[in-house]
Amino acid sequence: MQTNHLYDVVVVGSGAGGGTLSARLADLGADVLVLEGGPKLNTRTDFNTHGLPWEFPFRHIPTMKPGKPGMDGERSRGLGGKTQLWNAVSLRFSERDFKGKAHDGAGENWPFGYAEMKPYYDRIEKQVGVCGNYDGLEDLPDGIFLPPVPMKCTDLAVKKGAEKLGVKVIHVRKATLSRPTRTRPACHFCGNCMSGCDVVAKYNSYDVHMLPAAASGKLTLQQNSIVYDLPVSDEAKVKEVRYFDRETRAEGVARGKVIVVACACAQSVGLLLMSKSSRFPTGLGNSSGQLGKNFIPHITAGFEAFLTDFIGKPSVNDEGFLDHAYVPSFMHSRKRDYPRSFGVQFNYQNHRAVGWARSMKGMGASYKQSIKERYPAYFVFTGYHEMLPNKDSYIELDPVQVDEYGLPRVKRNWKLSEDDWKLHNDMKKWCRDILVASKAEIHSESAAPASNHEVGGCRIGTDPRTSVLNENCRSHDVPNLYVVDASVFPSSSEKNPTLTIMALATRTADHIADRLKRGEV
Amino acid sequence: MANYSSDRRSLLKIFGAVGATCAYPFASDELFGQTAEAHHHEAPATHEDAQPQFFNKADFATISRIVDLIIPATDTPGALAAGVPAYVDLVIARNTDQQLVTADGLRWLDAEATRAGSKKFLDLTEKQQLSILEPLCELADKTNGLARGRSVQFFALIKSLTADGYYTSRQGLRDELEYKGNSAMAEYPSCVPEH
Repeated sequence: MQTNHLYDVVVVGSGAGGGTLSARLADLGADVLVLEGGPKLNTRTDFNTHGLPWEFPFRHIPTMKPGKPGMDGERSRGLGGKTQLWNAVSLRFSERDFKGKAHDGAGENWPFGYAEMKPYYDRIEKQVGVCGNYDGLEDLPDGIFLPPVPMKCTDLAVKKGAEKLGVKVIHVRKATLSRPTRTRPACHFCGNCMSGCDVVAKYNSYDVHMLPAAASGKLTLQQNSIVYDLPVSDEAKVKEVRYFDRETRAEGVARGKVIVVACACAQSVGLLLMSKSSRFPTGLGNSSGQLGKNFIPHITAGFEAFLTDFIGKPSVNDEGFLDHAYVPSFMHSRKRDYPRSFGVQFNYQNHRAVGWARSMKGMGASYKQSIKERYPAYFVFTGYHEMLPNKDSYIELDPVQVDEYGLPRVKRNWKLSEDDWKLHNDMKKWCRDILVASKAEIHSESAAPASNHEVGGCRIGTDPRTSVLNENCRSHDVPNLYVVDASVFPSSSEKNPTLTIMALATRTADHIADRLKRGEV
Repeated sequence: MANYSSDRRSLLKIFGAVGATCAYPFASDELFGQTAEAHHHEAPATHEDAQPQFFNKADFATISRIVDLIIPATDTPGALAAGVPAYVDLVIARNTDQQLVTADGLRWLDAEATRAGSKKFLDLTEKQQLSILEPLCELADKTNGLARGRSVQFFALIKSLTADGYYTSRQGLRDELEYKGNSAMAEYPSCVPEH
């Protein structure tokens, strides 16, 4: 590591945000260093993509192959970050998602709308390859799609049921190739998509964005480097990044004209909170006091059910690439007593675990038979809804607990408001109704709301008193500090955040490259 | 009001929810009741012939009998042929709460056997064994495994572990359920009405 080398840009984190941004910057000619806390991975050989449970004594399929490091904790995931393990659902936010407050007065608007983001969504979809159908929906804009993958028989049963209630079911949109590209094969439907994809049919930022950029010589990847401090200079700039080696704990410093934090929402907020100084005693760039606040993860409710039309049918290979269909938001055009909306992801179980067998009734041959009959009919249905910012929902550093590296743990706190509860309960009601209309017997439903997809905590905005970053994801306080991940979203929509993280990251890269060219940093 | 604050353990669960076990937002989210740390052990290829690590011979025989009654051999292999007793032993060996429940349960079973005129549960006829276990099963099902009675907790535990062990075994998943996935397809086929 050349500690004296001054990079144009130092990026902390290599996932959807850091990977996309760094590759774009390198393409534009910037000299970029990416620091990743986790190890280097070989996507093709290091994951247990094709493992089956009986190969392991505890029957849980470990993420990594024996002796392969990575993905083993919060701060040490590996090059590519969570894009190695994501399910690749890729949905554009709509104008209403960016400007929710303008519609219903709740939450906060983004400082720009869909028209601003559209070209970046276009660029990202062309780079990563998203399959989907052109559905022409107001609340879910179409993109640039590869052909959709056919729905499963069980999806079609739910589609039929939902249509009885006037609810649309569409093909899922995923950054998984339904057709080969010049460098990546198409999906082979092995059904274990939330492991690393061993052929990179599923997008990950390492193989698709960073490796090709690194080949150009403009992008330097440095793994096993856990960043713990961003010290601020007298002129309120961040000029260096302090890290230690994950294995040896040897300390190091990387210098950059621009510093970009992209550690996946809560960890980014945690790093800024940790970077205290006399100028910023409550965390870097926190003159607004808003850092950590406005944490708005997606809230989910899940159902397990059996589609009665499929009980007793022969077992088929329909793992596919997990979910092939999606219930897009439909509440915006309906009467309701709460703001915002929900979508439903479904049928994304693979069939190599049968956890529901525990809770089937009885014992003996009849018990065994009832499980066999229901195995082809098993089905999960999980609604995702937006939540609005409130004072009880925030990210903080744990004052006592430290992680295995001695760094403070990051704590997520969230609490639903009355309006969030109305939305949550209505979402559950709609899920139940759709299941019943699809002739499903409900086996279980989640007892309490759960969170998924961390969003918020470091939001962008035009007012430095109510936001941490400006409309270019740049700190209001520190002119060469940027954040690119879902922590910057002022509102979350109900849609999976990754495509928007990538679009925002590539947009931010353009902005930074422009400033570098003009000599502003 | 749900008020949620996560430590690293629950984080691993969230991470799991994003990652490998995203498919199971509940029920099997915490796969088989084990913590993530337990998953890092390396694998022997088969477990059928393994000697019990935790149970003594007599207790292992009783556990094996219960496991056999929960998922018997039919026209397909049952839990015994799938090596489930060894799996139960492996899991309980690492969980002291489960060890205590199991010890109480096994004592309770022998006491019931004495009442039925035998010394041991294993000496009873199948009919007698079932007349002890079936009411426990019913109670366990009714209370979703959250029963307060120790004997019911014991049964619920063994049933859960039997279900986990059997349906993740080659015999349970491939022979019984005819799992066909984890293969390569050139195209995903469109649904034809009779699937």
